[in-house]
Amino acid sequence: MELYSGLIYPAVLVWCAVLAATGIVTMVWVRAHRVLQGVVTGMWIVTAIQLVTVLVLLISGNDAGIVLTLGYLLASVALIPLLGIGRLGAPDAAALDPDPNRPVLQPDQIARVDGGAALIIAIAAAVLAWRVAVLLGAA
Amino acid sequence: MNPIGRILLIVAYAVLGLAATGRSVVQISTRLSEAPLPYLLSGASAILYVLIAIALWRGWRRVAIVGTTVELVGVIVVGALGYLAPDLWPDETVWTGFGSAYGWVPLALPVIALVVLVRGSRASAVVDASGGA
Repeated sequence: MELYSGLIYPAVLVWCAVLAATGIVTMVWVRAHRVLQGVVTGMWIVTAIQLVTVLVLLISGNDAGIVLTLGYLLASVALIPLLGIGRLGAPDAAALDPDPNRPVLQPDQIARVDGGAALIIAIAAAVLAWRVAVLLGAA
Repeated sequence: MNPIGRILLIVAYAVLGLAATGRSVVQISTRLSEAPLPYLLSGASAILYVLIAIALWRGWRRVAIVGTTVELVGVIVVGALGYLAPDLWPDETVWTGFGSAYGWVPLALPVIALVVLVRGSRASAVVDASGGA
């Protein structure tokens, strides 16, 4: 529990803040998109570590409600693929789709979409991490 | 419609849909008899958010406009009724307090979406008119 409340939970919040900040910077300055891609990879890792840690805590007999805690955990995992939504508007991806309404994005637009998505997902992921910590009695 | 705004709206509605779906599934499956109106309303809002996200992605502009209008009216009506008739609401919904539990995103998002959608409709109408002249 000390590992989760002292290291993992703060690390998740810090990484969410980094993701949000990088998202904002990318929306303004599209060349930061490469940095954002690295931060997104880090978000996958941080989320995976959080998932494993919380699962271990639940298995080892924490009093938190399992259904709610697992629900929040699953939601935090389900959010992460949205971080790459800009790629769906890439011309080669759109060309494979017969839907004429499919948005096609230029590279700078892909960067801005990813930046905006990063900001939204960072806020949502931080709220979910906080809810899990409350359920576990760590916040 | 601006593609950046469109996709960011899709992300926002997908996140809200995920949150509302999770909340309503737990409420309806475990405590429906305690507060049927709020919990069923949370379920309906979850379906609405997912429908709007799909409509935005598929380019169903009319469905998106109707959906966001219903959402805005729902947030305002439920938010107001929460203060005017608190006995109706033994527990909170996604729209209680005008969406205050979700940082008022349920109130702000349909307004932003309607602005983007109506602007997009007007721009399309101008293009169609100039193309037909």
